[in-house]
Amino acid sequence: MSFIQCNDLTREYRKGEEVIRPLDGLDLEIPRGDFLALMGPSGSGKTTLLNLIAGIDSPTKGSLVIDGQDIGKLSRNKLAAWRSEHVGYVFQLYNLVPVLTAYENVELPLLLHDLSKKERHERVMQSLERVAIADRAAHFPRQLSGGQEQRVAIARAIVTDPDIIVADEPTGDLDKPSAHAVMSLLQMLNQELGKTIVMVTHDPKTTDYATRTLHLDKGRLVEQVVAA
Amino acid sequence: MKLIRCIPYVLKQVTRHRVRSLLTVMGIAIAMFLFTAVQAMNRGVTEATTATANDTTLVVYREDRYCPATSQLPQDYQRRIEGIEGVVSVTPMKVVVSNCRTSLDVVTFRGVPKEEFLKGMGKRLELIDGSAEDWLARTDAALLGETLAARRNLKPGMRFDAAGITATVAGIVRSPDPQDQNVAYTALEFVQLAGRDQLGIVTQFNVKVEESSLLEPVSKDIDELFSTAQEPTATFGEKAFIGRLADDIIELVGFARWLGLGCLAAVLALVANSIILGVQSRISEHAVLQTLGFKSGHVAALIVTEGVLLAVIGGMLGAAGALAVARFGKFALSVEGTSIPITANSGLLLTGIVVCIIIGVLAGLVPAWQASRRSIVECFRSV
Repeated sequence: MSFIQCNDLTREYRKGEEVIRPLDGLDLEIPRGDFLALMGPSGSGKTTLLNLIAGIDSPTKGSLVIDGQDIGKLSRNKLAAWRSEHVGYVFQLYNLVPVLTAYENVELPLLLHDLSKKERHERVMQSLERVAIADRAAHFPRQLSGGQEQRVAIARAIVTDPDIIVADEPTGDLDKPSAHAVMSLLQMLNQELGKTIVMVTHDPKTTDYATRTLHLDKGRLVEQVVAA
Repeated sequence: MKLIRCIPYVLKQVTRHRVRSLLTVMGIAIAMFLFTAVQAMNRGVTEATTATANDTTLVVYREDRYCPATSQLPQDYQRRIEGIEGVVSVTPMKVVVSNCRTSLDVVTFRGVPKEEFLKGMGKRLELIDGSAEDWLARTDAALLGETLAARRNLKPGMRFDAAGITATVAGIVRSPDPQDQNVAYTALEFVQLAGRDQLGIVTQFNVKVEESSLLEPVSKDIDELFSTAQEPTATFGEKAFIGRLADDIIELVGFARWLGLGCLAAVLALVANSIILGVQSRISEHAVLQTLGFKSGHVAALIVTEGVLLAVIGGMLGAAGALAVARFGKFALSVEGTSIPITANSGLLLTGIVVCIIIGVLAGLVPAWQASRRSIVECFRSV
């Protein structure tokens, strides 16, 4: 059985009388350790799929089984607990808390875990070092460049040692060198740490780092490209 | 436990918008200052007018009179009252006040027979400065209540004028009875001589009875004894007597309670406004927290904690300020020779803090519930 398995996965929203269906009966399997890039035009359902895999949204129909657990059936609180254990989320606009330092931002998800201060410190510094931003630990987000902020965001995503990292256009707001650095970092997490990565992107160049690229349109899978 | 780890995060959120938080805290402090001041007045009224099982004092006043200037009774009533069964002692008292109206700074002279007074009513007084011998020896000597002495900055040996009487401070006394705290005890004749044709005339008699159960029968006996006299009497338990004379103050303080509740409503509105503004500006941040694994309850608790923190900081400042003013100002609401001190103690500070915690929780509940129930995806979409 695949690590992530989507069967007839459907997500509907109501907008007044109109029913919008960004994801329409998708069947998909993602093996553990995959680096999957999702591409497609706006409204194709790629971010909806990402959000469902990240456990921040729930399917209207179908099932989404991750590591044997049907997360679509979890309650709101259980889903939150599941996220804190299994998912690291990297946002396009980093979404760091501006009043917290880089260190404190990375420490934030660990506050939910039963770890001592010393253990938290070790894990935060380990994560910051892994993304090569430990020297900026005491800096606030406003004191960092976009690339540095995204590194901190990646450190925050990996600090709990999740199985899955979801990234929503992680390079969408970065210049070329920073984008390259961030993608290399994600590739390293995939190859060296075996993290399963699901990434939404509009940039075809970033798909070079992925092992597989899926093209979605109108909520359905239209093409699959496997890296050579 | 997890939430305690998040306290630094909450503190940083509170200080994030410094001016807004400062203004909110100032508003809360002002409202809680007023609330605590009203509570202090309320407590003073309660202490001064609520009878207890230990009360054994009656006050005999001229019937249908409500102020010391018009209550005039012959001093020789004393002997006849002493003859009533159950009476332990009778202290005739001539009361002169510097101001007949309700005021925060009234000096009340109580002329008493000195030696009798020290053996009877005066036993409850503790001399904290000066000399009782000086008081007994000098005709114009006065024993000042601690609060009055502090308010007017008077010390033994100093002379002071009030109500057309010039007296010399012989000593300063402390008393558990609020009525002793704002008075100047002097010789009965000294006060009588200060008025025209007042020798042999007193304002009231303070009658000590054997036990509190005798208050009612003895008061009836006294009033019956003088019912046909030219100056009939009206006798009350001491606390009831204060309540009767200070009726205006009690009514005023009763109304002030509504002001106090208004202050609490203002605090609630201030905290709620601050929390709502904070929550609205951090919709995506709360969504991020939930994405990281924070449960709805965690997010709600963080928001409520912010409200509690703001309310408690402001409330403590305001309540402590009111307490300081009440303690160091030594204010008392006085009317017709009775005195109701504005009493403030740490219990009021504690009350203020508890009230603020409750208000902080109430103010944060709705925005916390709303923020925690929002869909994460909707939150990201809305910004």
